[in-house]
Amino acid sequence: MTDKDTGTGLLEQAPAPSQPPLRAGRRFEFKNLGEVLALVGLIAVFTALNPATFLTPENLRTILDHASLPLIIGVGATLVILTGSIDLSVEGVMGAAGMTFVLMTANSRGSADLGPWAIVAALAVGVGLGMLSGLVHTRLKVPSFIVTLGVWFVGLGIATVLFGDQSIPFLPDGGIKAWPSTLTFGVPNAFLLAAAFVLAGMFVARFTRLGRFAYAIGDSEEISKGNGIPVLRYKLYVFVVAGFCSAAAGVLAALELGAGSATVGVGTLFLTIAAVVIGGTSLGGGKGGILRTAVGVLMLTALNNGLILSGVSPNIQSAVSGTVLIAAVLVATWPHRSRLRIVK
Amino acid sequence: MSKKALLEQPATVPAAADGKARPARRAPQNLWFTVGPFAVFLALFALVAVLRPAFLTGGGMAILAVQAATILLVALGQAMVLHVGSIDLSNAAIVIFAAIVLAQTLGPIGPAAPVVTLAVVTLIGAVNGFLVAFGQIPSFALTLGTLGILQAASLVISNATTVYATANGQLLAPLFGTAFAGLPLAFWVGVLMAVGLWAFLRFTRAGEGMTAVGLNETGALFSGLRTRWFKVMAFALSGLLAGVAGILVIAQAGAASSFGLGSDLLLPGIAAAIVGGTAITGGITNPVNIVFGALTVALVPIGAAAVGVTPQAQSLVYGLVIIAAVALTMGRGHTEVVK
Repeated sequence: MTDKDTGTGLLEQAPAPSQPPLRAGRRFEFKNLGEVLALVGLIAVFTALNPATFLTPENLRTILDHASLPLIIGVGATLVILTGSIDLSVEGVMGAAGMTFVLMTANSRGSADLGPWAIVAALAVGVGLGMLSGLVHTRLKVPSFIVTLGVWFVGLGIATVLFGDQSIPFLPDGGIKAWPSTLTFGVPNAFLLAAAFVLAGMFVARFTRLGRFAYAIGDSEEISKGNGIPVLRYKLYVFVVAGFCSAAAGVLAALELGAGSATVGVGTLFLTIAAVVIGGTSLGGGKGGILRTAVGVLMLTALNNGLILSGVSPNIQSAVSGTVLIAAVLVATWPHRSRLRIVK
Repeated sequence: MSKKALLEQPATVPAAADGKARPARRAPQNLWFTVGPFAVFLALFALVAVLRPAFLTGGGMAILAVQAATILLVALGQAMVLHVGSIDLSNAAIVIFAAIVLAQTLGPIGPAAPVVTLAVVTLIGAVNGFLVAFGQIPSFALTLGTLGILQAASLVISNATTVYATANGQLLAPLFGTAFAGLPLAFWVGVLMAVGLWAFLRFTRAGEGMTAVGLNETGALFSGLRTRWFKVMAFALSGLLAGVAGILVIAQAGAASSFGLGSDLLLPGIAAAIVGGTAITGGITNPVNIVFGALTVALVPIGAAAVGVTPQAQSLVYGLVIIAAVALTMGRGHTEVVK
């Protein structure tokens, strides 16, 4: 702004007094740093426990690699939770999209080779399933958790049907299969893709109608409706975005696995929802953000990684996410407890 | 404290002038509530019988009852939780956990093993309920967390392998070994539980209290009911019934693993409860009808195969059935905002 100053000062001065305090208040409030401090604390603890292994470039790359799937899904999941709904269909959509992608690209079964169109087809599957969730939820007024529970298994079913009873379809070595783990600027490509999703998600949440309406709807659906927001339409859009994100994660997961599998997404649902909640997004809707979810994902991934490095069995991973989810929800809702509050 | 009074009371607290409109709104639901599940089962059964006559002559009913038995128990537990307006996503994981605990304790402590198993899982269910009711956490989020913990617990105590119940297997053998009226004893255990739960909901103070909580929690609270404890009770019942289902798994397969028999009971359980006429909004449950719900859900894969759907599509069919069943049976009159 300063180098474009033309000398009059009038045009620049008008927005100047009102904007900086507002921005500063939104971004640098100290209590919002709690999650970041927790992440730093976690890293410090595990570095102290495993001085030789935790804070090495290789291990940091592993953490970023593991964080990329939940980061991508977290973008969609956060938007859905911001509107006050929930998307449980993540693992099913990942399976369906991943299988679609593997079967449509060059693979050991030789079913088809559509090149980049395979990715488009896989994303279309995700968008379709997201639209199914959204339409049933908004038009037939079925609670979102039950619709997306159904769509979870619909997605799994599609993936299983695509898998059929033939041999496992493997991706050929090299080429596209190597892409997610290839390093660019010292960081795995998978994480760069995830970072792009997070940045895009933050942009959408902050600067577009979709994002602003998602916050408004989550805060109060009646007031949003009263103010002329097409609530049902925007809820549908949010589910479509979530389906798109899950599908992108499914394609990435299939690439990392190097083969087609219906259960490619197993375990990601816990991790993502736990990350969203621990990041500080309220399950009731209206409060939170995508950057918060990203911090939550990094916390959980670092926690799981650090525990495994410290010699804890990988079998307990889902328990770690589960416990963190319960603890985070408990802590987040504890101040709102009241005798007459109804929670289903 | 009659049922009538309890049903009226909560409903009239927020909308006192609602009295006239109610009978008209309730009538079709009552019809579905009483005969719907049975009619659906009969229709599907007739379809299968026509397309696959061998199903009737080849002892198909007994096979169906074997498959329906575990689904029925999980569904009854789920229905109790749905009855108070919550949902239990962890109860299929409890089945596996119970089966693994039982498989490991059956040898050392013999007849006491099922009792210990049931006590443990009832406690797990009660803890779920306690956290939901007193922590005021949404039940789907809490039970999703418990699901993760239970999965890990199952992996850890089974060392991520299959656990075989080696000794004392004869204790559980009669459950599937003996038949009564052509159907295995295990199925009749489920039916007995269903009748028991029906009586519980209908004739006991706690059962009516749970109904009141499901129909209108605010109303129940203002009427001085201990709504939180009724929720704990519902979740404890869900844990207990999942434990019984775990016993059936061991009786049937003699072994349990984290990915073995019973690991995909969550959706069939919810589907059976809903097809059996349970309202996910709470307060409307007929456990006896859930018997038909479970039979229908167990018949779905057989029926789907009869009309030419591949067995791989089973979870696809279950997913669609649950969405369709909820969409068709949900009462929308009083739901202003659906989340």
